[in-house]
Amino acid sequence: MQEANRMWASASFVGVLIIIGLPLWWKTTEVYRVALPYDKINAFETDSHYISTELTVLANDDETAQEVARQIEKAFQESDVIKLKITKKIIPNKLQHLLDSVADEQEALEDVGAAFNIKKHNTFYVVQRKPLYQDVWVGTERVAFFRDIKACSTIVKVLEKWIYQPSVLIGARSEIADAARQVRFPSGPGYHVVLSVVHPRPQELKVNFNARDAIEDYIGSFVDELTELHNFTLKSQWLHLLDFDFEATEVPGGRVAGAERLPLLLTRLEERAATHVSERPTLNLALYVVPCRLAPLALQRYDKEIPPPVQAFMSPKWGGVVFGNPTPEECEKQVYTPPVNLIMGTFLSQLRKLLGITDKEAQAGARLEALRRAAPRAWERDALLRLRALQQLASAETSLRSLAKLLGEISNIVINDEVGASINLAVESIHRATEHMEKADLLEAHRYSQRAFLAAETAFMEPSLLALLYFPDDQKYAIYIPLFLPIMFPVVLSLKNLLLWFRGKPVHKEKTD
Amino acid sequence: MSLYYVYFIFTFLVTIKISNAIEIPEKFQKSNHTNNWAVLVDTSRFWFNYRHVANVLSIYRSVKRLGIPDSQIILMISDDMACNPRNPRPATIFNNAHEQINVYGDDVEVDYRGYEVSVENFVRLLTGRVPPDTPRSKRLLTDEGSNILIYLTGHGGDGFLKFQDSEEITSQELADALEQMWQKRRYNEIFFIIDTCQASSMYEKFYSPNILATASSLVGEDSLSHHVDSAIGVYIIDRYTYYVLEFLENVHPNSKKTMSEFLAVCPKSACLSTVGVRRDLFKRDPSKVPITDFFGSVRQIIITTDPIDIQEIPKRKKPMSINKTKVPEKREYLPQFPMHLVKTTV
Repeated sequence: MQEANRMWASASFVGVLIIIGLPLWWKTTEVYRVALPYDKINAFETDSHYISTELTVLANDDETAQEVARQIEKAFQESDVIKLKITKKIIPNKLQHLLDSVADEQEALEDVGAAFNIKKHNTFYVVQRKPLYQDVWVGTERVAFFRDIKACSTIVKVLEKWIYQPSVLIGARSEIADAARQVRFPSGPGYHVVLSVVHPRPQELKVNFNARDAIEDYIGSFVDELTELHNFTLKSQWLHLLDFDFEATEVPGGRVAGAERLPLLLTRLEERAATHVSERPTLNLALYVVPCRLAPLALQRYDKEIPPPVQAFMSPKWGGVVFGNPTPEECEKQVYTPPVNLIMGTFLSQLRKLLGITDKEAQAGARLEALRRAAPRAWERDALLRLRALQQLASAETSLRSLAKLLGEISNIVINDEVGASINLAVESIHRATEHMEKADLLEAHRYSQRAFLAAETAFMEPSLLALLYFPDDQKYAIYIPLFLPIMFPVVLSLKNLLLWFRGKPVHKEKTD
Repeated sequence: MSLYYVYFIFTFLVTIKISNAIEIPEKFQKSNHTNNWAVLVDTSRFWFNYRHVANVLSIYRSVKRLGIPDSQIILMISDDMACNPRNPRPATIFNNAHEQINVYGDDVEVDYRGYEVSVENFVRLLTGRVPPDTPRSKRLLTDEGSNILIYLTGHGGDGFLKFQDSEEITSQELADALEQMWQKRRYNEIFFIIDTCQASSMYEKFYSPNILATASSLVGEDSLSHHVDSAIGVYIIDRYTYYVLEFLENVHPNSKKTMSEFLAVCPKSACLSTVGVRRDLFKRDPSKVPITDFFGSVRQIIITTDPIDIQEIPKRKKPMSINKTKVPEKREYLPQFPMHLVKTTV
């Protein structure tokens, strides 16, 4: 009887500790991980994404149209990042007559605009116009004029280097940052643009400059055209008594700032410009009013070349600085009125480069009409949309792939529901964006790619994705073993006796006389 | 016969000289980083650990002098020595008994201070998983072209670094954090310096590429402090950092010194502990990497030559503001006793 009690006691120990306790402990210490679509993430092929776009060739006769279309198709055949859907049309007689008789290219543009819809995104028209001085002419709308069939090679070069720029698109899609990507700001939903007027000697000179109106009008009109891409917040401020030693050397005609001092000017500006107030990246545009004793200050020596109309420089991913040099007469009167048009024009040119509109190098036989307004050209907007769509898509895929790899490698990171939801949203948006890009639906493609990018970033940068600190595996066992081993030891040893008793055999050998 | 030997040695030396002269343009291997960041961490608190704060502030001053802007330096200091009531020289921190340079200065920008310096915050800073309301100055906003200098100092042991006298970061966690940075392409190259006891154990577990690591002592050795300042009453600076600073004093922004000179900076006779180096994860040859790749700052300047000539002055349409009729604000006193809220019982 006593033996039965003992055996039941040890059986209950075994039951609680091993049968109930062990699975309970395993279940309660496992890390909560939501199931992720690993197979879909591994199936991403970033290098195979491409954008379709529509191109219409309008010529006076059939033969020209065919030849131009054929040349363009041949040139863009190997490009795997952009696929052109080329349609050929003959220009209707009335329009042809208008194009031949009108003297000014702008009027010709209006005539074409009246006949065809050039406001539609992701389209481009290559139109023949006999009375052209050059082979090809490109303006601010989505139209390029060409003279005749001999201009084919120039048309192809213009499309490659100016309008579509497949090299820049490939750079946006790849993992390595190319030169254009190193200059422009990283993709994001919004930016702050801060115009700082830096006035080191307010006691000596009065500056007449309405910074708020200047940034609202000039930069505002520019960013209004880019609302589909990013959200811009415009701010302006005055920074007084911000002195800086340029280590300027005297040259005939003025002074030249030391080249090594210019990066340090940016550091000095950063100290006071207070651009860390928000979590959005900030584009700094600084107008530095050069003190009278240093004016006119140049950035480098211009011995033989003609100096540019304004001294300015920019720094990639930071912003730009323009020097305002007061003339000796203005220094006499102690009132300086900076030329607003020129200065804001310089800022705009820097802003364009910082946002991704690249410089267009001159092509033989082609003329790119100079931009005379604040707003960007229509086809530049399309190029930006394509660029950002591809870059955001590629970045989202890279983030998801590395997140999946990371979560696979480090097994004690908790994956909660929000992270799972973000990842699923990102995967779905990537699929939709890819579909829209292939269908040449650029605005929708950009919208979905931005959603995918933001969801992937949210998932990767989720604060809860911290590996469980102070709980690595070897330390886990170092805690459990001294805690549980002394208890488990007699329990395990008594298992043998327990089994024997259950089978009905006597536990102790009976003493025989 | 001897003349023949002399002639032979002479030609041999001349050939060596010429081949050296031809080699000079190849001296530095090109780096492709576009910006420089520094993460400087002091992990120990209490007055007797004054030297750790002096260590990290001295490196901060050197790095600032060589050009890295404050917006790209993350400085984490666990305890306030300058305003410590036991400091006989208030508002100053010195790294030398001669007390010539006040490394605290009046323009120091400490990003994480006091109890904010914890293992969790450090790992969050490195991996970027900071809470969403963290200001930009407390985030490590690096990208794929950033070279980062990471400097850790404090008390350490075999496989761990002590934070705030109450918690530790293990070498495995640090290695995992750096791997997460690599996966997100948050750095181009990292130079990792650690000045604690048994410091080399902290970099043994690294497995991400492009990291060059150096430590002030090997496993089983202690890093020692340099000298005491009897006026302040504590040890002022550690040996390894003292000799590093001596080296950095001769480095200016156009310096041609290489990383391998930095890695050899403290021989055992001076440091009394052996300096450890880990270079197998670093692709370039340290003897061809200029020291300004990590200690200086690259900031590209592009001169603008093509301003836009705006003909028509733009005018942005202001959004229509709703006409708000100004209601005159009526002000009155609240009743002294809120009897109107009390239900009167009959």
